[in-house]
Parts: sequence; structure tokens; C-alpha cells
Amino acid sequence: MSVIERVVRFPVNALEYTNILLTTDDANVGTTPKEVVWTHRETTLYRYRSANRRYQVPLLLVFALINRPDIFDLRPGSSLVEYLLDEGFDVFLVDWGYPDEEDGEMGLDEFVCDELDWAVRETLRAAGAEELTLMGWCIGATLCAMYCGLDRDGRRAPVKNLVELTMPIDGRQSNYAKWVGDEDFDVEQVAELYGSLPGGAIDFANKMLKPVTNFWTTYRRLWDNVQEGTARREAYQTMAKWVGDNPPFPGRAWAQWIELMYRDAGLVRGGVRLRGRSVDLRRIDQNVLVITAGADHIAPRPGTMPFFDLISSKDVEHLARPGGHIGLVAGSAARKELWPEISQWLAERSDPRD
Amino acid sequence: MADGRNGAQSPEEQVRALFEEAESNTSKAFEELVSKPSFGRLMAMSAENTAALTRVAFDMVDLLWRNLRLAGRADIVRLSRQLHRNEDKLERVLQEVESLRDEMTRDREREEARS
Repeated sequence: MSVIERVVRFPVNALEYTNILLTTDDANVGTTPKEVVWTHRETTLYRYRSANRRYQVPLLLVFALINRPDIFDLRPGSSLVEYLLDEGFDVFLVDWGYPDEEDGEMGLDEFVCDELDWAVRETLRAAGAEELTLMGWCIGATLCAMYCGLDRDGRRAPVKNLVELTMPIDGRQSNYAKWVGDEDFDVEQVAELYGSLPGGAIDFANKMLKPVTNFWTTYRRLWDNVQEGTARREAYQTMAKWVGDNPPFPGRAWAQWIELMYRDAGLVRGGVRLRGRSVDLRRIDQNVLVITAGADHIAPRPGTMPFFDLISSKDVEHLARPGGHIGLVAGSAARKELWPEISQWLAERSDPRD
Repeated sequence: MADGRNGAQSPEEQVRALFEEAESNTSKAFEELVSKPSFGRLMAMSAENTAALTRVAFDMVDLLWRNLRLAGRADIVRLSRQLHRNEDKLERVLQEVESLRDEMTRDREREEARS
């Protein structure tokens, strides 16, 4: 396109560009039909409707305490949930909701020992199964690992398969650790002052890891695409809406997370206790699939690797792929590359129905 | 216009390439900057100060509100916490009822099978 053409088309392009940005909040995310199975406080357990269930072991999706779990079901044609349903899995999703100041006292113990434990219980009841597959992403993956590693007086967690997507286990080498790892930073005080950390503040901190990319390049690229006529409105808007939808992080859980991940690395060193019960990753003997992303700046691959030395599972697979923390699983290439691999791994371990 | 045949770049393409290079270098420089401990300290102190100021502002508004004998945020939070505690207890009772019902169903099935 010549310079003259660009100048002539500038008003139209500017209109389209601003329209894409201003109507982002109208984008539809998480549209796959689902039913509420169980609720408690802010937590909701959903079951996705399907007439094509071919496996007996249900699959429970668990997302992080930051951002929304809609990333599992971003938009039709680019939805991991939709893909897994088509493949015949019985898919459930636990949604942590929008915690507010009154939920500030919720810690990791509440999330692991109550919310996740009860969501697992309700999933098994609804599916009529004895065991399930847990698929966690980011902090959700760490919560799943903690759940499986929790002391249950000798009883095993009712989890057959554990799928961990871009999971942080030891964050001491990450940039976050440089920000919040210093003992002078009083996390308890900040948590107490806020009650629940505002989602916008968490989002700002995440974006500051790559400030130019997040605050400038994303918008510049969109402008280029609009100029070239290649802007994919729906793809941009759904992802931008998801990125901008930030629920508050319960203060106590946030303070515990900082301590566990960026100061103490308790999961690697051992000694983590939730409600007086020890969390030991050596208790994990499930079939395990771990997926790490080479360009992950939020949960860098080296921070996941200690997991393999700790667990007792005999069936362990690691898919080390290029890509980012979210893009690896939710990007446009995932449907052709990563999802079929996940589905095949699950299919071999999810007991086909007769 | 670009002359793709001999690989030479038009002035526009050259400007664009320069811009992208500058953008990439700036991006790397900022990423290096934010990975410095001093930047981390700055972020941490800003977070502490913002939290404290937010709290002071909320408390002041809340104090004014409550002196007008109107329910403030603190009252709503306290009520919500009580509701949460009730919900927690209800959930535990519900789970007990459900497991008792399951147990009774299993017993009945066992007896039916026996008879």
C-alpha cells in the first residue's frame, strides 16, 4: 500500500481501530453452553453440555486466582473446552468468581482444602465416577499439585490423571521474586490494607514484566493489521477482553502465594502445611502430563522443572514447547498442535465407555 | 513502492525497519530495567504506599458515612463475612446429609441383594 493510499484510508482505518478498541467489552467469551452444578461463596462448578461423552473419567479444569477461567473457552473455534467436548470428554470447570473485600481472609488452605476439594467431590458425584482428571493452568496448576500432595491420613486423592499447564513451582528465579521477594516488602500489611488485592493492580504488575510489549506493541500491531486489512476483530477482542477482566486476589491467599513461590519455595523445600496437614509433592503418584512454554515470562520453565524430581508418578510426560504463558495453550496454533496431543494423552487414560 | 525484485528497500520500508528495530531495542531495555532489584524495590514501596493511602481514604469516607448513621463498606463487609460463615456451615451440613443418604442407599441396595 502506497503512502498516498494510507493517507487517504487513514480516517476509515482510525475509525475501525477505535471501534475495535471501544467495543472490546462487547465481545462474547466463554459461550459454550454449561450448567451450574454447585456453588459455594464465590466459587461455581460448571458442567459443559455434551451429547458425546465417550470417556468415563471426568475432566475438571482449574484456572488461576488471577484473570478468569474463560480462557479455557475463549470463543467458538478457539475453545479448548469445545475441542475436548468434541473429543468426547465430560468437562467440568471450577470458577473462583470475583472475590471481594469480605473474601480477603481466604487463603490457599481455603482454596485447596475446601473449594477445590468440594469441587472435586461434586464433580465425582455429578459424573458418577470414582476418579477424575485434574487440569490446572498457572496458579490453578499449582493448586492442583498441592491438592494431590495433601496429607489425607493415608488416603489418596481421587485423581487419576494430573495435567499441569505452565505451572510455577519455584518462582525464586523469576522477575516477580525481584519485586516481591525482598523481606522488606511487607506483604501481610498490603494484604491486610486491601482485603483483596485489586485485579487492576495485579494486571498492571503482570504487564510491567514486558512493559513495551503490553502497553505499546499490542496496540501498534493492531493498528498495522487494520491498515493492512488483516485485523481479526473477534480474535483480538476476545483475548483483549479476557486480559482486561481481572478479579481481585484474596489478600491472605496472595500473601501466602508470595511467600510460597517467591521467598520460601516451600513446595520444593517441603514443609508446606495447609490447616495443619502437610503438602508433599512426593505423594503425587497420578499419571502426570506437564506442559511448559519456552518463552513463558510468568512461569518460566526452570521454575517448573523441580516438579519432576519430587513426584512419585511412574507415568510422567513433559511437553516442552515454544510459546508464551497463555499463547501456548490458547493461541491460534494450539488447536492444530497442542490440543490433539493433550486429547490423545487423556484418551489413553480416561477409560472409554462401553 | 518496494522493489522486491532486487531486494532493495524503499524509503518507507527502511523507516519501518528502523522503527521496528528501535521498538525492539526499547522493549529489551525496559525488560532489563524492570528486572533490576532497584525497580523491584520501587514497585514494592509504591504498592505499600498506594495500599495505605487507599485505606486511609476509604476509612475517612467510611467514618463520615457511619456518622450519618448509614451502613458503610465496613458494615457490609462484616455482614458478608457472617453470611460466608453461615454458608460454610451449611455446606458442611449438606455434605454430611449427602454422605448419609449415599450410605443409606448403599445399605438398602445391599439388603435388597441379600433378600
